[in-house]
Amino acid sequence: MSEKEKQKLKPGVCIPWEQKKKELPQISGDEELIKKVWEDIDALGYLYIWQCLLSF
Amino acid sequence: MAKDMEKLYAERLKRYVTAMRNEKPDRIPIRPFVAEFTAKYAGYTCQEVTHDFEKAFAAARKCAADFDWDAVVANMVYVWTGLTQAIGMKYYAVPGIDVPPNTGFQYLEPPEEKAFMKPDEYDQLTEDPTGYLFNVWLPRVSAEVTATGEPSTYRNNLSFVKGGMAMLSYFNAFGKQNELLRSECGTVSAISGILKAPFDILADKLRGYIGLTIDLFERPDKVLAACEALMPHLTHVALSGADPDKNVPVGLWMHRGCVPFVSREHFDKFYWPTLKPIIEEIWSHGHQVLFYAEGDWNAHLKSFAELPDQSIVYHVDMADIFEAHKAIGHKFCLSGGIPNFLLAYGTEEEVRDHCKKVIDGVARDGGYIMDASAIIQNDAKVENVKAMTEFTREYGVY
Repeated sequence: MSEKEKQKLKPGVCIPWEQKKKELPQISGDEELIKKVWEDIDALGYLYIWQCLLSF
Repeated sequence: MAKDMEKLYAERLKRYVTAMRNEKPDRIPIRPFVAEFTAKYAGYTCQEVTHDFEKAFAAARKCAADFDWDAVVANMVYVWTGLTQAIGMKYYAVPGIDVPPNTGFQYLEPPEEKAFMKPDEYDQLTEDPTGYLFNVWLPRVSAEVTATGEPSTYRNNLSFVKGGMAMLSYFNAFGKQNELLRSECGTVSAISGILKAPFDILADKLRGYIGLTIDLFERPDKVLAACEALMPHLTHVALSGADPDKNVPVGLWMHRGCVPFVSREHFDKFYWPTLKPIIEEIWSHGHQVLFYAEGDWNAHLKSFAELPDQSIVYHVDMADIFEAHKAIGHKFCLSGGIPNFLLAYGTEEEVRDHCKKVIDGVARDGGYIMDASAIIQNDAKVENVKAMTEFTREYGVY
């Protein structure tokens, strides 16, 4: 990830969908569905590290 | 029975929320933050409740059922060592392993030269806090996680799977625990969500207290930038765990950002400006924050008074609660002020006398919740906690 991309990382995000999408072949069907699931699970990864820091 | 319990729950919730909004309920709510005390009462060791969260949950429910408490934290022995051992966290002394089985878990702050964050890593943290935590901090605090760039190991891979699944199962279990507190005990789960000030995060988990206080002089701009970078993330995590019904507050654990740990100027420049906007943001979403002000934060009451009315519940530990009430009692509900040493070493009469003094001094107009000054551990005498409870029930009626 470039430095510029890192600085754009919002709370709740580990690997932005925009970056992941570049790694995938051409998406057909419902892209929003794939994006939503990616982001939902990515948020769990985010939660893991921040809860390690805060709660444990 | 179920209908009676639901009625009791509704009464207690109304009482607790009314007080937290700095109004006058039917009587003073009782909301003790009981940790290893629950183990003592329920007949478990500290090791049992720290390593087996189901026992910790059961102990909390037994206390809630037997004592007439309006609210209780679902598990105040919150560091489940099953999880911290899976991840291999180095900064805990675990009952039965590092300390005796009946001593509560301890945080271990490393010496300054072994701080988990090095003094020249502020820019890394500021540019990408999440990446820094995963790539640099976690490998340092974990005995299992390998550093980025080093060959991955079986133990490294396992620690993520085990840690992640353990965390999910633990957090999910709180849903059932809260339901059982309600249905079996008629007791409210006292808080929801977690917050710490950016400054306290740096001190507690990253630079250490000594390292950070040196940084305040040697690299203050870096410290401020790091605090500011942490703000949106801490806000996000707090809101993600906040009560969807907006009844109970987010818990803010306040540690070493006050005088005399730091100077007043440092509080004014670093601690408060990077915490206040978080509180205001959380309040704008309709959630109160419980300022669990450990130690004595009375030097900063004027700053806290800048916050919107009712936006916080202010908990008093070692500070003068009467002074706090004078300064901010018109804006915020207060809790606490019953010294833990009294609960551990005093007589029942002394406990009752002190409760009366606090109630007379700060609770007459509502906006007060009965609790000990600090988290109640297994040194508190059962009869004294009963005395605190029973006296408040009798004397604390409006």
